[in-house]
Amino acid sequence: MYKNLLYLKAALEKHPELKYEIEQSDWETDFLRFYHSQTNYNISKNTQSIGCSLHKGKRQYSFEIDSPDPAKIDTALSEALSIIDSLPEDPDFVDVEDDKTLAPLRNITNNIKAISLEQKTSILGSLAKSAAEYDFELFGTFICNYIQNRIINSNEVDKSSTQSPIYLEVKAVHTKNQVTVLETFGGEDFILFDLEKFRARLIDKIVHASNPVIDVEPGEYEVILAPRCLAEFCHYLSYGMRAHALDQHSSYFEDKLGQQVFPAAISITDDPSDTEMIGKDYSSSGHIYKSLPLIKNGVFKAFLCNQYYHHKLGLPKNGNEASCLKIATGKSSLENMIASLKKGLYISSLHYMNFINPRETSLTGLTRDGTFLIENGKITAVVNNLRFTERISRILENVTELEQEAYTIPFSDNYGSFSISTSKAPHAKLSSFNISSSTKTI
Amino acid sequence: MEQKIKNIIAKLQSPDITYADVRITFTDFEDITFINGNLRNYSSSKESPALGIRVLMDGCFGFAGSRDLSERSIEKMIKRAKLNATQGAKFLKERVSFPALKPTIAEYFHQPQIDPFKMPKQEKIDFLQKLADAIKPQGKIVHSYVSAEFECQEKYYANTEGSYSHTKVINTLPVMDVIAADGGQIQSRTWPGHMSAGRAGFELFNDQKFMQNTERIKKEAIDLLTAPVITEDRADIIIGGGHLALQLHESVGHATEADRIFGQEISYAGKTFVKPSMLGIFKYGSDILNIYSDSTDPRGMGYHPLDDEGVPGKKVDIIKDGILRDQQSSRHIAHKLGLQPSSNMKAAFADDFPLVRMTNLCIAPGKGNLNDLIQNTEHGYYLDFTKTWSIDDNRNNFQFTTEIGYKIKNGEIIGIVKEPTYFGITPQFWNACDAICGEEEWAYHSTFHCGKGEPGQIMRLSHGVAPARFKQINVSVKM
Repeated sequence: MYKNLLYLKAALEKHPELKYEIEQSDWETDFLRFYHSQTNYNISKNTQSIGCSLHKGKRQYSFEIDSPDPAKIDTALSEALSIIDSLPEDPDFVDVEDDKTLAPLRNITNNIKAISLEQKTSILGSLAKSAAEYDFELFGTFICNYIQNRIINSNEVDKSSTQSPIYLEVKAVHTKNQVTVLETFGGEDFILFDLEKFRARLIDKIVHASNPVIDVEPGEYEVILAPRCLAEFCHYLSYGMRAHALDQHSSYFEDKLGQQVFPAAISITDDPSDTEMIGKDYSSSGHIYKSLPLIKNGVFKAFLCNQYYHHKLGLPKNGNEASCLKIATGKSSLENMIASLKKGLYISSLHYMNFINPRETSLTGLTRDGTFLIENGKITAVVNNLRFTERISRILENVTELEQEAYTIPFSDNYGSFSISTSKAPHAKLSSFNISSSTKTI
Repeated sequence: MEQKIKNIIAKLQSPDITYADVRITFTDFEDITFINGNLRNYSSSKESPALGIRVLMDGCFGFAGSRDLSERSIEKMIKRAKLNATQGAKFLKERVSFPALKPTIAEYFHQPQIDPFKMPKQEKIDFLQKLADAIKPQGKIVHSYVSAEFECQEKYYANTEGSYSHTKVINTLPVMDVIAADGGQIQSRTWPGHMSAGRAGFELFNDQKFMQNTERIKKEAIDLLTAPVITEDRADIIIGGGHLALQLHESVGHATEADRIFGQEISYAGKTFVKPSMLGIFKYGSDILNIYSDSTDPRGMGYHPLDDEGVPGKKVDIIKDGILRDQQSSRHIAHKLGLQPSSNMKAAFADDFPLVRMTNLCIAPGKGNLNDLIQNTEHGYYLDFTKTWSIDDNRNNFQFTTEIGYKIKNGEIIGIVKEPTYFGITPQFWNACDAICGEEEWAYHSTFHCGKGEPGQIMRLSHGVAPARFKQINVSVKM
């Protein structure tokens, strides 16, 4: 399957003056979209592509070929060789990746083959039947990807990896008032999917969603963030942990390495080794992907740094890309967290967040898929979606409790190539969260 | 390629298939990026192939897409698209209704003034290097970015009703920005703003006056470091064309995509507050507001002779005299709503399935120029250059921050404010529109990056707008 990659490698070996990186990616998806408890679309897609970066001294040129063959490779390479000498230099480039550490072999099942369309529709049909008893219909996606990658470069790096993520996203929407709740499964091992537990969690949310719908006034609220929300805030926070952000002076963590930045209860690790999550063997340039503490007991420990910025900024290289974030658990139970709130909000999911100022971690966004009012320790109402305008740094400073259990949360990247990753996070209780406006709609 | 696509259609002409369409695209792409004055990336891809087959069987659509155009791959895709439809039909409550349409044959070949793919690479590099040098970090300017993306897409479309089209277009996305820093804070300025793309070639850099605005963005970024914020809770705001295009995009464009009404995009993109019962009666905006979807105007990136369901390009009034009149729709959804399809079904690449998409969504011009509008504003702010955008999944509650605001007092600009932030509820906001500038200020603002759908697609589209004024908008959000 790598004959085109090896053809390009052989062609490049005739040019010892060049450094190079080649990546071949074979990507396949089986994508079931459903709405109103029925099929919307079944979609199958596949691509094979080769990307190649050439470096001659400090000059660089790259090309990508979809559905490659030797003729296309010859044409692209010939064009690259004809232009590279005339390009301006990048003084900050030193070398391509040189880490040759191999990840342990993982036995990856091709979930596109393992989970048939029949099985998917059977699961959805069964869940739809349960939801219908409460006047809810199901909307969402059931996705299996299968990705094979191989990266080689002129420093004799040669690494292959396989991923087969599964992403089941079920939104239950009330047929009349549109109140929505969300339940998800993500990972690479479908044995971990327990239909009855999934159904129980979904129905539990549906029951809460059957409360009356109200508006609340903007202001400061005590809140409980669902694991998905905490994970998403930490994803946004990780922007500032990137060496790239540091380089463009937009990092919150500039001059904060080794400093206490959050309460001691906050620990965030980029950990590809958790078998309940979607694994990652190598970075996009082929560096081994290992567990990396980012925030430990509130102290900022490391920037996410690749070969380029390692040379440019002098930071330790790790190859991490915040693809497998894990937020440490605490000692509380969700029940006790809810019971301890006199008046507050439970926020299930977030929508359309964007930084206002990344250096200050200020952003705005909205709640989605189930925002609930908690009064005297109980969920008493569904709240229309709310807008928040906050600083992530303040959100983490305001964490007073973390749940003792963490949950695997799948996220999909819908811009560019469709990729699926997971994070793991517990519920978090915050002493204050700034609701800046109400949407008046669910 | 015409023969190839017609051969595939021939294989799909069978009694068990209600309807089928096939797309083939070949896309050239080039990306040149300078950071801090240095060339950081020059990448290209040529004639990237893509093929998509969509079939309607047993009342359900199935789709298969691939970048492999070999006969073996095509056979596999036909089989897979049919399986996807027939299996989908087993989990179905309502069959897709898809009234027939008479066939249309069309072709269109766009010619930019300066074809970026024929222009010598060295010439492009020299121009961009000069631009990158002009905004290179110095003093409080700590970061700079210059980028050019060029795309050429040739597309073949055919369906089982006999429609066929062959088109070729070139799009360009030029961007430059700087970041200024002082102590703990940063401010940024971009040129010419968030929607800087166009159905054009390299001439866009000159048309958009990049070289003439390098000093301006450096100065404004530095000045913003010490600029005040808006102190009022409410203010009259004039929104410049670049940012108004995004306001239109988020709070009218996505809100009037009819697939959202029926929940087809709930999972990712969201719903809409618009309901079918609002058509013809809902006061979406003030009386001066006229908004139309126009896929017949070749100046915009949303132009097409045929959409991806075979519907000929159309100009459709979405909002007329402030009243919601129509939707952006597909053939299936238009039928459900009792409307004519609006020619808004588009797939980003051939291996993507078609979705309801904005094409050229425009606000009709009003009267007067921007200077007159500023002079006629007693107290307010002129806002432009998008910094942050966010809207709820009903397209109802939005909040935007622009990079800069120009304070207006007694009809004159008297200073700047940093990170001006306003929020509102969509219909209230558009009903507060009391002035729209005229033809002389009207222009297309376009993007390469409208994300929608699962699997995700990034669409190229345009908005024609002129600056407009909105009365007493909430600007009370402060960080």
